[in-house]
Amino acid sequence: MLCLGIESTAHTFGCAVVDEKGRILSDARAVYRAPEGKGIHPREASRHHIEASHGVLKEALSQAGAGMKDIDLVGYSAGPGLGPCLRVGAVVARTVAGYHKKPLVPVNHALGHIELGAALTGASDPLVLLVSGGHTMILAFLEKRWRVFGETLDITIGQLLDQFGRAMGFASPCGGRIEKLASESSGQYLHLPYVVKGNDVSFSGMLTAAVKLASTSKMADVCYSLQETSFAMLAEAVERALSFTGKKEMMIVGGVSANKRLAQMLEMACERQASRFFACPIKYAGDNGAQIAWTAILDYKKTKKAVKIPDAFATQSWRLDTVDVAWR
Amino acid sequence: MQLLKQGAEADIYVTEWHGKKAVSKVRSPKAYRHEALDSAVRRQRTVHEAHLMSAAKAAGVSTPFVHFVDPDNAEILMEFVQGKQAKDALDVKMCMQIGRYAALLHGANIIHGDLTTSNFIVNNRLVLLDFGLSYYSERMEDMAVDVRLIKEVFTSAHVGLRGAFPAFVRGYGSVAGKKKTSQILANVKEIEQRGRYARVE
Repeated sequence: MLCLGIESTAHTFGCAVVDEKGRILSDARAVYRAPEGKGIHPREASRHHIEASHGVLKEALSQAGAGMKDIDLVGYSAGPGLGPCLRVGAVVARTVAGYHKKPLVPVNHALGHIELGAALTGASDPLVLLVSGGHTMILAFLEKRWRVFGETLDITIGQLLDQFGRAMGFASPCGGRIEKLASESSGQYLHLPYVVKGNDVSFSGMLTAAVKLASTSKMADVCYSLQETSFAMLAEAVERALSFTGKKEMMIVGGVSANKRLAQMLEMACERQASRFFACPIKYAGDNGAQIAWTAILDYKKTKKAVKIPDAFATQSWRLDTVDVAWR
Repeated sequence: MQLLKQGAEADIYVTEWHGKKAVSKVRSPKAYRHEALDSAVRRQRTVHEAHLMSAAKAAGVSTPFVHFVDPDNAEILMEFVQGKQAKDALDVKMCMQIGRYAALLHGANIIHGDLTTSNFIVNNRLVLLDFGLSYYSERMEDMAVDVRLIKEVFTSAHVGLRGAFPAFVRGYGSVAGKKKTSQILANVKEIEQRGRYARVE
């Protein structure tokens, strides 16, 4: 079974072909870049996706050495994400599936991150930390759904890094530049608000404090302290959730998992709780079509359920803990 | 001293205090946290915990008796409480009692900050532990964050136990009264709708 997955929740428009063993036969992407100091403009990003869609789709098929006739299933990310961007992916998915008469499966974007991460790392029943621009959630699977054991009470870790970076005039996404600047710091720690509430975290106060601090302190030290404080909060929340759930595996997925310092801290937290640490390979940590294709395969193989073209929805608000998972 | 449990927050040892079985709770340094941040967090939580554990007792909530506090080593010596974690023995009646305790704390303007079922010990009574994230506040919002946290625990870890949160609410209401309870619940809903990708009704 070959599945074409289409991803377009935020800055990335991606198409990929995956087979039922989880082999990624192709992975084509085009990424919208916001001007320096600016964030994603949903209309501009959706325009980028429209223009890129044809080329990305073609590339995904040719990389896989497949034509539409070889594809058995089409999956698309139906949310959560930016409405205008999601609608581009949905339109492409409906068109391709409708014209070629292929079953169509809507996929929850967050679920895609987790399922591909699990397939690539071999984690079987992990506590998951999903960290990206859209999510900061600690999850574990229980009774047919991924249940939230902790999450951000306001902005996500990705937003903290991006909004701080943008205020400094960096180009989005800013995580890489902040990580590099932090590595240039002498290790001078500046105090920032450390807010852990149970397994939940809050970053909005830290954002304000860090921006303020940047006007009086060395940029490298502020970046360093921002990373140290926010990542320690996440590591602590994860450690608490590990202790509570007793999970013997922990997996990090999402764009922010590319950060080496965060991975290092989580590894230490896992060691204390005697859990195995798994990190999604950086190449597939960010948004991509393979996540969607693989999750669509898992779903369709188990449920044999596809949506009719007129019912193929796209929605900005679709929390992961409301999605029934049939295959786990 | 014998290690009883290596928790996420602290290590728990069984020891003695003037001939009686006691517990030593030590917040050992976390290697992943920067030293300056780590020592500030550990010290602050130790002091808060010891103080608020006693304050909670005065508010009518059963908590371990504090014998001795050492902020420099982030250590608290307290009464040993025999029993199971509520997490492993939870029933609807217990949820109601947890609700009563939450309301008693909030009535004294104490926010527990980590209201989960692993922080209650059950024997013939229910004993509330772990005041490390506790603080004083009069704000309805802070009380609602407490309530939302235990709701999150009921709907994740204890999703199989029907009626857990409604029982909690009944217990809470029996102490706090109808008006305050419905105000808190409205605030909880507001926080949930602020949650990411939540459907706003």
